[in-house]
Amino acid sequence: MRPEEISSHRGEQLIKLKPEELAPLPPPYDTYEDEPFVELKEDQKARWEHSLDGVSALTLPKPQTTEEEQKLVEAFLRGLEKLLTRENNWTFLQPLMLSLEYCAKCQTCGEACPAFEMSGRKDIYRPTFRSDALRKIIKKYLSPGGKVLAGFRGHDIDLNWETIARLAELAYRCTLCRRCTSVCPVGVDNGLITHELRKVFSQELGIAAAEIHEKGSVKHLQFGSSTGMVKAAIVDIIEYLEDDIEEKTGKKIKLPLNKKGADVLLLHNAGEFMSWPENPMAFAILFEAAGINWTLSTDALGYDAVNYGLWYDDVQFSRVAVTHLQIAKELGVKKIVIGECGHAHKALTVIADRLLPGAQLVPRESSYTLLWDIVKSGKIKFDPNKNDFPITLHDPCNIVRLMGIVQPQRNVLKAITPPGRFREMTPHGVENYCCGGGSGFAIMSSGNFPDWKLKISGRKKLQQILNAFQGEMDPSIKKMVCAPCSNCKGQLRDTLETYEVFEKTGIWYTGLVELMVNAMVDQEKPFISWPDEEEE
Amino acid sequence: MRTRACAEHCLREHLEETEMEILRVLTYLSGVVFVVAFAVKVIKYFAMPMHVRWELYPIPHEGKPYGGSFFEDVDYWKKTRHKDHFSQYRFMIPEILFIRALHEDNRPLWYWSFPFHFGLYCALGGLVFLAIGALLQLGGYVPSSSVLAALAQAVTMILAFVGFVLGTIGAVGLFVKRVIDPALADQSAPIDYFNLIWLVAIFVTGFLVGVTDLGFTRSREFLAGLISLKELPRLGALQVINLLLFIGFWAYFPFTHMTHMVSKYFMWDKVKWDDDPNVGDPGVDAKIKRYLAYPVTWSAVHVGAEGGKRSWADIATTNPWAKPEKEQE
Repeated sequence: MRPEEISSHRGEQLIKLKPEELAPLPPPYDTYEDEPFVELKEDQKARWEHSLDGVSALTLPKPQTTEEEQKLVEAFLRGLEKLLTRENNWTFLQPLMLSLEYCAKCQTCGEACPAFEMSGRKDIYRPTFRSDALRKIIKKYLSPGGKVLAGFRGHDIDLNWETIARLAELAYRCTLCRRCTSVCPVGVDNGLITHELRKVFSQELGIAAAEIHEKGSVKHLQFGSSTGMVKAAIVDIIEYLEDDIEEKTGKKIKLPLNKKGADVLLLHNAGEFMSWPENPMAFAILFEAAGINWTLSTDALGYDAVNYGLWYDDVQFSRVAVTHLQIAKELGVKKIVIGECGHAHKALTVIADRLLPGAQLVPRESSYTLLWDIVKSGKIKFDPNKNDFPITLHDPCNIVRLMGIVQPQRNVLKAITPPGRFREMTPHGVENYCCGGGSGFAIMSSGNFPDWKLKISGRKKLQQILNAFQGEMDPSIKKMVCAPCSNCKGQLRDTLETYEVFEKTGIWYTGLVELMVNAMVDQEKPFISWPDEEEE
Repeated sequence: MRTRACAEHCLREHLEETEMEILRVLTYLSGVVFVVAFAVKVIKYFAMPMHVRWELYPIPHEGKPYGGSFFEDVDYWKKTRHKDHFSQYRFMIPEILFIRALHEDNRPLWYWSFPFHFGLYCALGGLVFLAIGALLQLGGYVPSSSVLAALAQAVTMILAFVGFVLGTIGAVGLFVKRVIDPALADQSAPIDYFNLIWLVAIFVTGFLVGVTDLGFTRSREFLAGLISLKELPRLGALQVINLLLFIGFWAYFPFTHMTHMVSKYFMWDKVKWDDDPNVGDPGVDAKIKRYLAYPVTWSAVHVGAEGGKRSWADIATTNPWAKPEKEQE
């Protein structure tokens, strides 16, 4: 399908997804038959835009009148114009313009994209499809003489409501993993183009996935956490964690809160407190055992490291990043350490780095690095035999490909597992595949999008995980995927549960610090748990 | 009768001289368009604001082939950064010369893209040696009497013929691949085929020029005339066609996406490999302060830009949903 066809077949669905066309999975899923794709209900179809692939991630209402349609088209063009100005987009203008101008149309990127591959090679999911559609709109409607010989020059595209609506949905069919950028011989960044497209929709038209805007960054700025957890709640939760630590380890640990002048301000994704409390507990156990002078913050935003603006909106991004840095400055900490959250790593460590003058920054560091330093220091004794099960490692894109933190987490795992138990996925490190939940997908649950992210964007990771444990598929052999990132864990949890992977193969997931505490010599009871034990 | 024949001869000579002068003007013009358009393109990118960091690993100057970075070190900001620039060259030279990325990730296309690009490099190298030969000629050194000039001529011939043959094979291969591969065909516009045909025409006519004038003597004399602003030798039809095709393309080239060597420099050096941390350098700080003062005109309500009345600094430090401390608790 040609990119300009995004504006054709008005009122119809561009493609229909079929489970039998999805890329196959390895044993024991080689004979597995996926359920048909979840269709929107008739009333949802009538209300929500779904003409791209029958999926609605944005529950975008259809315009009711021609005038309304026209207004949206004009607003979209106005937004694109702003995107190409230094005043409105100094943050990304140069890489964006380079990516818009130089695609050689070689399709090398397509082969690197897990969504394209696993969908059964649907053209609309090619990294170039949305980029090229956008490129054509800009050339035809915003460039001088753009309509002259538009067909010959290859940008004869119509701009109508369907084009815009399909582009809006298509902006949420890419996890921004930037694997495609890694292989582009020219350096074109289709992930960035997707990111910028999301920005036009959010910053000009106010259109974004509800879970990352209204229920995400807005909630974060309003209540202090994207989970909706206010200061009083986090204080309560921390007290519960202290009780749980005592129950699980026999250790009495008082979690330090708002400690002025601490060496380390530890920022967690607040989702950990709610869904995986063992993770902040494990951090506390390790930091205390290693004698680190650390603190948590209970200031609004200070107990939630997420920054969803990273995925769709520079304004929301800046507001959260600036607040995180202000909190650290006010506490007078020596550095911020980011817990197991990939996008929070990149947001605060990399992207925010050139958002403020140097004097307003506070050094930021990955917990992976500090954890490896703790292991190296010998301050904590580990018994690798306590983690005596096959184990593999998932590389969160934001931390590995986008920050170059590859080795510390591997060093830790090798130090806390018996020889031969750890195996890599293929490929891994900076060539890894996204968990499928990147760029907000892990938390997006509107319309029938969850079905898409499980069957398509998460499929490659499932394939990799199964491949990593081939030959040991007996469910009685318990196996672990170490996924040191909140959103990745969320996506893996949903994938493993949907496909009943633990029941069929014995594969489960956890974070890095949980495995570390599990291996601590003075830890009497197992710290990690398996689903069947939970049920018991 | 003799007078008439003489007049016709003079007229023909005059016309030919005029034609040559037109070719001279067109060649200069093509060169000027190329230089100006290319410079505008490069300056445009250099003048763009410093963007936020958007690096992508592996970054060769980090000196960790597996893709690691300085972020792997505890308290990295306290340590002296060491950039392995040699690694960058080790990466970039095979990338530019042999199109390594395509070789690794898209081999079926590399089989055609490599000869195409390498042919282009050789043909352009041939042009450079032709210019060296022309300069030597202007200094009184011609291949028949100078070893240096003969050497320049020999290198010109080798590079030109290798370039024309490889370029033709590559361009034809890319054309056919674009036609028969549905994924490429879907992404291709008539202009993409047109560009390839144009390049094939340059390579083929260039080859024929070489075959009919084995040492590219006439071409060298023409170039010497262009450089010295002196009289130009008369070119044959084939040479004129080749020249027009070439100078036309030369002037057109900076306006196309084929100038991706520009993007390659910026995309790698200024984007993918730009991992310099902000350590409070005064120059960087000044830029950031200037950018934060830019007015914002994004229209979405949550931005609160007030149609450009507020700057990035204003909106980034405003939390429209902030609640008083008491309410938070």
